[in-house]
Amino acid sequence: MINNIIRGIAYFVIFVLIQILILNNIHYLRIATPFLYLYFLIKIPVGISRSNLLLISFATGLIIDTFSNTPGMHAAACTFVGFFRSGLIRFFIGKELLEGAYPSYSVFGVGGFLRYVISFVLLHHIVLFLVESLTLFDPIYLILRILSSTLLSVILIAIVEAFNMEAVKSGE
Amino acid sequence: MRKLLEFLVSKRHWFLFILLEVISFVFVYRNNAYQRNIIFSSANVVTGHIASISGSVISYMNLREINRDLSEKNSQMEMDLLRLQEELEDLKADTVSFKGAVSDSTEQLFPFDFVMARVIYNSISYVSNYITINKGKNDGIAPDMGVISDRGVVGVVSKVSDNMALVIPVLNPKFNLSCKVKGSNYFGSMTWNGRSIQYANLEQLPRHVEFVQGDTIVTSGFSTIFPSGIIVGTIASFEKEKDDNYFSLEVKLFTDFSSLSNVRVLRNYRQKEQKTLQEEVRRND
Repeated sequence: MINNIIRGIAYFVIFVLIQILILNNIHYLRIATPFLYLYFLIKIPVGISRSNLLLISFATGLIIDTFSNTPGMHAAACTFVGFFRSGLIRFFIGKELLEGAYPSYSVFGVGGFLRYVISFVLLHHIVLFLVESLTLFDPIYLILRILSSTLLSVILIAIVEAFNMEAVKSGE
Repeated sequence: MRKLLEFLVSKRHWFLFILLEVISFVFVYRNNAYQRNIIFSSANVVTGHIASISGSVISYMNLREINRDLSEKNSQMEMDLLRLQEELEDLKADTVSFKGAVSDSTEQLFPFDFVMARVIYNSISYVSNYITINKGKNDGIAPDMGVISDRGVVGVVSKVSDNMALVIPVLNPKFNLSCKVKGSNYFGSMTWNGRSIQYANLEQLPRHVEFVQGDTIVTSGFSTIFPSGIIVGTIASFEKEKDDNYFSLEVKLFTDFSSLSNVRVLRNYRQKEQKTLQEEVRRND
């Protein structure tokens, strides 16, 4: 249990730092920005209570917000995906999961995990960019930004997951 | 009650979710000028509509003042136009002498300016009609000043009190105006025909003046009252006079005397000078 918490904090610190120090400065072709910190939210154990998940998501988003000068936007998006995360897992994986299992390739299966990640990231990005623009003034540009950012984020998350030794180990 | 509480507790993550989202949006709203503007302007769709309705009502109330301003502007421009025409004609008439590219500002070719006034009494149904305006001696009005409206000639000031003036309009047999067909220089004298407020007669126009029905009649400028070129009306019909040397024209007046409200009074700096000169000549005869 203590182990889990320390692990979670370590994940949190590492990915938030990567996000705010490196990835926030990437604006590929001025449209795509990867949001790797979602990996932390994705890796939260399955059995966690909804309220705790919501609070954790909100706090994560808020911290990203304070560092990237976008108060409220990430918080809103993270709270939103936090709310729908358990629903997504149930929808893609089914109910026969152990409490406390970490979402990973080995637990969800490669296809299942990727589907879960893509829907999770897409949901987050849609909310994030909608809140950012607040209008449907230029919908094509908006959709382009959402899709390209989603693509970048998913690729990064998939790579990180593939090289995450711990996940490989715990899957064995 | 217990069931309700249980239900609420079991759905507590819903409330938490809504609460957190609200907090997020408050942050978004309070800290980001862009989103704040968007929200404001969305709200403005409603308030803007209301404001535009009230604005259109208020603009109706302001119409009188706007109208007055416009007509003042208009008269200013008309005076400028007349002055420039005068200058142009002066230059054309004497192409030999060159007065410089910029005309001498001390020499005033066009000795008129104007005072805006409002009609406070207007009669049109009598044989001798009169108009009263709300400017008088205190505003620099004196007898024998011309009065025009946006549409054309109105009349001549006849009596002045401190704050009001009595105008003899075209619709009065005493009124007599020297007019010409626009573009020619032969003049005739115009009087009201006493019947319709739309028509007046221009008589004693020389027979060799060329014109067609619908031509514009303007003031001749041979009196001290009106500068030349102020529009009066159009030719409605014409016939030869008995002695066959002159035309008699029926002129449809531009000025609508039944709805007269804003007029301007023309002041001529040189009226006195011209008058004394003419009187002197007449006395010597």
